[in-house]
Amino acid sequence: MLRVSAIAEQAGVPTSSLCCEGFLGQAKTTSVGLGYPNLALATVPGHVDVQTKEELQANVLGTTVEHVIRNLTGEIASVQVTVDPDPQDIVFEGSFEEVNRLFLENGWSDGLPIVPPTKEKIAEFLAFTDLPPDHAIGKLLPDNRMATVWNVAANGVMAGCRPEYMPILVALAEAMVDPQYGVEHSGNTPGAETLIVLNGPLIKQLGFNYEQGALRDGFQPNTSIGRFWRLYLRNVAGFLLHQNDKGTFGNTWRVVLAENEDSLAKMKWPTTAADMGAPAGESAVTISRFTGGNVIVSVFGDSAEKLLPYLGNALVTHTGWEVIFTVGMATGTYRPLLVLSPLIAETIAKTMTKQDVQNWLFENARMPARLFEKYLWGWTNLVPGKRTLNDWVRLGRIPKAFAGSDPERLVPVVTRPEHIMIAVSGDPLRSNCYLFVHNGMLGFPTTKTVKLPQAWPTKLRDAQS
Amino acid sequence: MARGNSNDYAVVWPRSAKAVEIKPLAGRLDTIEGKTIAFLWDDLFRGDEIWPILKQELSRRYAGATFVDHDAFGSTHGDDEHRVLAELPGKIKSMKIDAVVSGMGC
Repeated sequence: MLRVSAIAEQAGVPTSSLCCEGFLGQAKTTSVGLGYPNLALATVPGHVDVQTKEELQANVLGTTVEHVIRNLTGEIASVQVTVDPDPQDIVFEGSFEEVNRLFLENGWSDGLPIVPPTKEKIAEFLAFTDLPPDHAIGKLLPDNRMATVWNVAANGVMAGCRPEYMPILVALAEAMVDPQYGVEHSGNTPGAETLIVLNGPLIKQLGFNYEQGALRDGFQPNTSIGRFWRLYLRNVAGFLLHQNDKGTFGNTWRVVLAENEDSLAKMKWPTTAADMGAPAGESAVTISRFTGGNVIVSVFGDSAEKLLPYLGNALVTHTGWEVIFTVGMATGTYRPLLVLSPLIAETIAKTMTKQDVQNWLFENARMPARLFEKYLWGWTNLVPGKRTLNDWVRLGRIPKAFAGSDPERLVPVVTRPEHIMIAVSGDPLRSNCYLFVHNGMLGFPTTKTVKLPQAWPTKLRDAQS
Repeated sequence: MARGNSNDYAVVWPRSAKAVEIKPLAGRLDTIEGKTIAFLWDDLFRGDEIWPILKQELSRRYAGATFVDHDAFGSTHGDDEHRVLAELPGKIKSMKIDAVVSGMGC
């Protein structure tokens, strides 16, 4: 909404942005990042989702219309420009406790103690990249601050990372700025959280946990790099609660999920990174935002035929309103992630490739069309126009598998089999699996290879000795 | 790492300057009378109900105002977001739009 207004103001016409009452604060902070700190807002009292038609009309006529007229014809609010420090300036000297209090008071920390980002510590991280400190990785909305190698290192220090994680941190910043990922949506109200999937030799070189407890904190690389992600979103992209981060509930940041590549190699299944097009033999990060997840406990059976129905059922029962990313708001962008324990994956792999599994799930993990349409525009107001699945098929926007006359017909939850992502990790000797439910284009899967510095083996050996 | 007091840390700022120039807003209209007002919508939060109410009330107060509805642009969120935003400056010019109302932030 505000990006529209900024473009229109740039084009020379005045604007008024309609904003529900609870979102005025977010709008004001977002406006600053767009370069127009005084974008004019018109308040819609309360929240429209729970108002009767009469209440909505009264609110619009009683408040919003006056604001619109004032926004378009009245005086323009003045702008106060703040001067930021230079990133390499020392902003404070003090004890560990004093530094942490300063960072908390300024919103630069997540509530846990941070490692003080001194120049000396940052230099240790910079030694693990061939890029110069001022290298511009890209701009990050909504604050529109520049992601640089320097501030990647500073936030990596704060998160408790080790210097040799730096190549992964840079790759994550590269993924975060990629327009395909859509970082600007990271403050939306569903409050989805990013999962980082790591593939390649760095899993073992840096000691990531990829076995039992793979999604639990407790291993330094998995945990601290996960924390780095959220600190970087806070400090450079600008997602702070009660400001630009409007997650109604939100999640805590997720630890990095490293795949069990020994198991994948044994099965001859491609890694997640390979599925995303990353070169073989290189390490890569894949980021994607997931609205939630659940464990699929005690998947029972000695063959793919016996195991897959339970996994397919989980895919359907855990997918709800997110089908607006399959059809409607951002058609064809729903990418759920199924994490199989090696035990289950290897049992399935006796007779099926990963692609076979995706095809099976596409054909068999289906929900009634009636329920699908309820999610689109019955129980939510997220897809206007009350277009049916048949309408979308007629428009040529989705496959014919969604069409039919029976409202109880079963339809897929994704538009293409390969949209069901499959990873292998977790306890190698337990039969549980995990399903992540995806946030569509508002955090679309994005992969970046990790670029290692010259003399990596020597530097790594020195760091680990 | 330590400065002065051996327990002290000299720390840097973990952010970076905003990479955007602060720009002035466009000039405001002297009146809405006789002007063309466009509505752009993200297909969310009842904008399709709010716009007709606004339009009717603005028409009542400014009989000479004209309006361009959201379907002339497409949704500003989701599938068509990037295209719609890229096309907007050209459409403002070609459709002789004087002001824009954008919704919904909810």
